[in-house]
Amino acid sequence: MSAWQALHAWLVDPFVQFGFMRRALAGAVALAAGAAPVGVFLVLRRMSLMGDAMSHAILPGVAAGYLLAGLSVPAMMAGGVFTGLAVALLSGLVTRLTPLREDASFAAFYLISLALGVTLVSLRGSSTDLMHVLFGTVLGMDDAALYMAAAVTTLTLGVLALIFRPLVYECFDPGFLRMQGRAGAWAHGAFLALVVLNLVGGFQVLGTLMVVGLMMLPAASARFWARSVGGQIALAMALAMVASAAGLLLSFHLDLPASPAIILAAGAVYLCSVAGGPRGGLWQGARRSRRRALAITGDMR
Amino acid sequence: MKRSGLGRGLRMALAALVTTAGLGTGAAALAAPVPVVASFSILGDMVREVGGENVSVTTLVGPDGDAHTYEPTPANVRELARARLLVVNGIDFETWLPRLTQAAGFKGTTVVAADGVKVRRFAGEEGHDAHGHDHDDGHAQGAGHDHGDHDHDHDHDHDHDHDHDHDEAGGGHHHVMDPHAWQDLRNAVIYVRNIARALAAVDPANAQAYGKRADAYVARLEALDARARATFGAIDPARRKVVSSHDAFGYFGDAYGVTFIPVEGLSTQGEPSAAEVARIIAQVRREKVPALFVENISSPRLVEQIARETGAKVGGTLYSDALSRPGQPGATYLGMFEWNVEQLAAALRR
Amino acid sequence: MSAAAPLLTLENADFGWGGQAVVRGVSGAFRAGTMTAVVGPNGVGKSTLMKGLAGALAPLAGAVRRHDDGRARVAWLPQRADLDLAFPLDVHDLVAMGAWRRTGAWRGLGAAEQARIDAAMARTGIAALARRRLDTLSGGQLQRALFARLLVQDADLLLLDEPFAAVDTETVHQLCRLLGELNREGRTVIAVLHDREVVRAYFGDTLALARADGAGRVQAWAPTPAALDGEAP
Repeated sequence: MSAWQALHAWLVDPFVQFGFMRRALAGAVALAAGAAPVGVFLVLRRMSLMGDAMSHAILPGVAAGYLLAGLSVPAMMAGGVFTGLAVALLSGLVTRLTPLREDASFAAFYLISLALGVTLVSLRGSSTDLMHVLFGTVLGMDDAALYMAAAVTTLTLGVLALIFRPLVYECFDPGFLRMQGRAGAWAHGAFLALVVLNLVGGFQVLGTLMVVGLMMLPAASARFWARSVGGQIALAMALAMVASAAGLLLSFHLDLPASPAIILAAGAVYLCSVAGGPRGGLWQGARRSRRRALAITGDMR
Repeated sequence: MKRSGLGRGLRMALAALVTTAGLGTGAAALAAPVPVVASFSILGDMVREVGGENVSVTTLVGPDGDAHTYEPTPANVRELARARLLVVNGIDFETWLPRLTQAAGFKGTTVVAADGVKVRRFAGEEGHDAHGHDHDDGHAQGAGHDHGDHDHDHDHDHDHDHDHDHDEAGGGHHHVMDPHAWQDLRNAVIYVRNIARALAAVDPANAQAYGKRADAYVARLEALDARARATFGAIDPARRKVVSSHDAFGYFGDAYGVTFIPVEGLSTQGEPSAAEVARIIAQVRREKVPALFVENISSPRLVEQIARETGAKVGGTLYSDALSRPGQPGATYLGMFEWNVEQLAAALRR
Repeated sequence: MSAAAPLLTLENADFGWGGQAVVRGVSGAFRAGTMTAVVGPNGVGKSTLMKGLAGALAPLAGAVRRHDDGRARVAWLPQRADLDLAFPLDVHDLVAMGAWRRTGAWRGLGAAEQARIDAAMARTGIAALARRRLDTLSGGQLQRALFARLLVQDADLLLLDEPFAAVDTETVHQLCRLLGELNREGRTVIAVLHDREVVRAYFGDTLALARADGAGRVQAWAPTPAALDGEAP
């Protein structure tokens, strides 16, 4: 078998032969397209940990939806959105009205949410159910799940296009839009809603724990390669999709569980970017300081 | 004349009243139900059948619960402390039990329901002793072993200690033995006999009642067993294959000649890899498995995906590790078993 | 000096954060078309006062009145520390922000706006830096860019919070001359400054704050020579 054929067998055949692989890829790619741009803004706005905390915050809502309506996706999504937004609002209030800063107040609320969520799921279900909520079932995506993922992504990209400019301005100079009306506040609110929406929409595919990985890791990686905001978004989307495919292939060939494999693939991309990315990567930095050192000694000669 | 008639009648009535009252309180004292704790819902149902109104049963892992990963609550500790008899499955099924009994300071009797059952191993597990010994050595340990002591010692010697560790005191043991012995009705008969014997030992006053109820129950179990054999016997052997998302039907499969192909391993917690799913699909396609079944405590999504891809039929729910809530077909052991048989037969017949 | 109409009147206003007043008892009026410098020691509450004037901070006591029915457009020049300079924007994007009031979130930058942006960058001497990333700019270059944005905003009231921190002298003078031009166009300028020489050279009025009785209070608010001479050393 020629090298080309071997490569084809390794990379393409699993998707050709098995419907569940195609669906898993479709679901993950759909999720990636929406989550990665949101992740880029989270990284740019220094809100990365908040994104992770949010993924825990939505858990009790998802759990409550599960408790009341079983594995009903609309119920779980509605619950997740509700508690996600509630936590965001409550921590914002606590930050505004008390001496506690945003990071601590948010941490407090999301920890409460996480414990509440685990309790709720354990009350009615088994730890299997908890596992499925936390880690998703990317290998079991039915039509409804695929439509849901596609709908979330379409909505996300649409809203992002609308709020792009005020979002960028608000990241860079928060006071500027505040002086000119309420546009900044609306943009910020819409963005938070998108974060929650993608986390909730993604929990079916990857689970609430892992979905934030697909949101953040490609975005953090893109920063080392692309210059502009648009460039980072495009690259983050591409990297997230590549990581999804790679993770599924790893799961297929190496018998690894699927959703962690996708996140590990994204993690590998991140590490490569940190090491060798042209904008701020470690290797680049080492080369530059060596060049600088040589230049200095050259001048001294 | 009348007065003496009345007087005598009155005296007799009074005597009758006093006697009845005396007997009544005496009987009441004797009739306090024995508090029994059963580890999970299937055992609880059996105890209720055998014990009737003479026992008051509390079940630890309730309907639709997962006994593999159960975490006892403080209420459980109280219930166990009050009990006089604890009924457990054994074969390492309840790994969380030793800590609970210790915490409760349980001083009553423990009966291992699977005592005397021929324990089955999982196929493909790296054995401590892979060849041939599978059925011989797999006896559950407990009081009242039937073999002569000789054989017993022999078995002890060659045997791998793990064979004898596997009862309720197991804890931390690698799951090589299949604990789901109740999926074979003949084993259920053994369970019932063990339970009846234990109840008679703890509450000798009602031993006869226990014996009678156990006999009646066993008769029903055996009748169902015969029906099940007939049903499956009538189905083409080539079609007697199912995919189920829980590896709990080993005994069932052995007893009635049905092959169960698992999607996930025994543990209900593992997330499957794409390779596993691909293998199952390949196998289902290759062997033309006609039906897939979904459990009441595992995720159905994966099984549905496999059904979609292979064209196999998705059957209804099967009950494996727990009874369902009251009002559903799986609320009693017999009901659950009958339901499983019907569902499987219907799917395989098509 | 002139009998111009008051634009902003303060009546015994207190400003502060979380219920604690930092600046107390400010009374007076900023007249339209004036250039006022706000001076005082560090931490006395100059920025707080500026935010109160901009309307971003409601007074804890007293009142702030605008005499223009809200028609005057306000432009705010932020402190360097309030900006996220690591954000991937270039100079052109920063200056283009000034067009927000006219374009909103969705309208593109037409030829007219683009011309305005180019003119602003030329006027502040940074036309060559249009595509440079913000984190590669020096202090002076960044201030020029922020001033260019101010120009594009085309506002009537200009509030500048420490515009000349970490800026070279040459740039300071150039930008002050620019402020003077804007002032002569009829715009009102209020700026927080530290350099007394610059204040004397360019700013007609001065508001001096000093700590007294546990808060910042107005020590002097008058034409510059009088205000600065009366200032405590």
